[in-house]
Amino acid sequence: MTDPLQTDPDGQALVAPPDDDPPSDFTYYAFAQSKNREPARLSAPSAFSTMPDVLAGRYCIERLLGAGGMGAVYRARDLLAQQYGDPDPYVALKVLNEDFAESPDASAVLYSEFCLTRYLRHDNVLRVHGFHVDTACERAFITMELMRGLTLDQLLCERPLGLPWQELRQIVLPLLDALAYAHGCGVIHGDVKPSNVMLSENGVRLFDFGLGRAEEGVLPGLPHLSRERFNAWTPGYAAPELLEYGQLSASADIYAVACVIYELASGKHPFRHLPSTQARDEHLHVGLQAPARLPKRCWPALRTALAFDTGDRAITAGQMRDAFTGSSSWPWYRKIRPSW
Amino acid sequence: MAVVGHWRSAARTHAGKVRERNEDAFLECPEQGLWVVADGMGGHQGGDIASQMIVASLAELPLHGNFDDRLIGIRRCLHWLNRRLGQELTVNAGRQDSIIGSTVVALLMEENRAACVWAGDSRCYLWRGQRLYQLSRDHSLQQQLIDERQMNARQARAHPGGHALTRAVGAAEQLTLEVLELEVFAGDAFLLCSDGLYQGLSSDALGHALSLALPAMALKRLFDDALRGAARDNLTAVVIRG
Repeated sequence: MTDPLQTDPDGQALVAPPDDDPPSDFTYYAFAQSKNREPARLSAPSAFSTMPDVLAGRYCIERLLGAGGMGAVYRARDLLAQQYGDPDPYVALKVLNEDFAESPDASAVLYSEFCLTRYLRHDNVLRVHGFHVDTACERAFITMELMRGLTLDQLLCERPLGLPWQELRQIVLPLLDALAYAHGCGVIHGDVKPSNVMLSENGVRLFDFGLGRAEEGVLPGLPHLSRERFNAWTPGYAAPELLEYGQLSASADIYAVACVIYELASGKHPFRHLPSTQARDEHLHVGLQAPARLPKRCWPALRTALAFDTGDRAITAGQMRDAFTGSSSWPWYRKIRPSW
Repeated sequence: MAVVGHWRSAARTHAGKVRERNEDAFLECPEQGLWVVADGMGGHQGGDIASQMIVASLAELPLHGNFDDRLIGIRRCLHWLNRRLGQELTVNAGRQDSIIGSTVVALLMEENRAACVWAGDSRCYLWRGQRLYQLSRDHSLQQQLIDERQMNARQARAHPGGHALTRAVGAAEQLTLEVLELEVFAGDAFLLCSDGLYQGLSSDALGHALSLALPAMALKRLFDDALRGAARDNLTAVVIRG
């Protein structure tokens, strides 16, 4: 175990390139310095102790942005972009955790995430820059646009009573639009939840397709994440069929996004953050109330999207969006009016 | 060692002699009057992720605003992390023991005001007038046994599972933080530390170290003493002195 005091005596190792002779592939960028050095001194993350301060001779790791069971995302400074005077040389950089990175197909899983995200060109889907391998430390990583703003779980902490419709619609409509687009392209997200949606200064962004999947015939040849060997989810947002059978379809994304929307509207998760299977067995669907601040026209669509049974969850992301904008043809039977 | 205004501080973390991973983390930010120690929950996958997320997120908090605003910012950030670690993490089906959590003890200072915010058994000590005060009260089963069953400290320590935490960031749906505000006097010295540090040391040893004039000297004394012992756990300390 490295002692950060030995590796980091002046507290700067985390925010600046090492002072000693740079390796040969680092020469071009050795003069690049951080414009805004952080005064803070943080202990070095030990789990990533095998990860160098600069990846692939180009990306200087600056700060941990988020971490989960599989990977960690850092803010990194692109030293090459900075060398050429790029006014905003920062990127988000995702690497797999050390434990997970050792599994044989880990890099393929990361590549799949990169490829799925790149395939989607939509204003409300995060943009990926590239897939890279640091050959020295044998770690694959993705670089992405660095978003500045709040993830929806942060927003929910700041707004525990939920959002009024005027604000809600500005998040929900782009989010549903992004999801409808992805599904239209044959891409399933697989892990929609508040922390995977960012309200950034450039608008809403859906991100983290790490558990995503392309439907049959889309992106043929791309390694698929085998749900038999690798089954993961977020308990409060995973549909029952995903929890029980590992079945991932667009319909599972619908359940998840409906939980997110309900929570944004009311401040409360529809089923107390319980796994959907437990919520179903406790019949929590029966007492579900429409969020008070949600326009009445949205509720039938949202309630349908929250159905535990895939057969009852008969609505698409596009139909939800239309129901929320008020331009809905869904549900069709409401259009049938008595002729008198 | 960092010197700003009249506050000097020094910080160090060490994996100890037994554990392979260091799941402790610290933040030393004298320019912002903020210092933090976090101890990732042992035995759980990703304890280091939790403690690192805590220090990295607190380091990014905005500097503007008065003391009260900043204190609210710290508490809000910790509540968000509780949600992030408890409800937002992707769970791998093969790993059901997926609780990711961490203790936290943070000290915010501005002029003569200080606030200590904590959850779990990482501690904040104050050295004032040649006396050692423990400002934080552990959120542990041990402390609960002392409080509720009137056990003495030795009996509580002998209790199986006494080390178990009763509060931590990421451990339960609702996080209850404890906050202590106090006035700072000239000559005060503060110590934030994880249990790996204080468990191997007597109060006298802590006091002797904190009586030294420079934080770096105090820190060296603390680690020299602690590493002479078994040092089974990760150990972390931040010393702040006026």
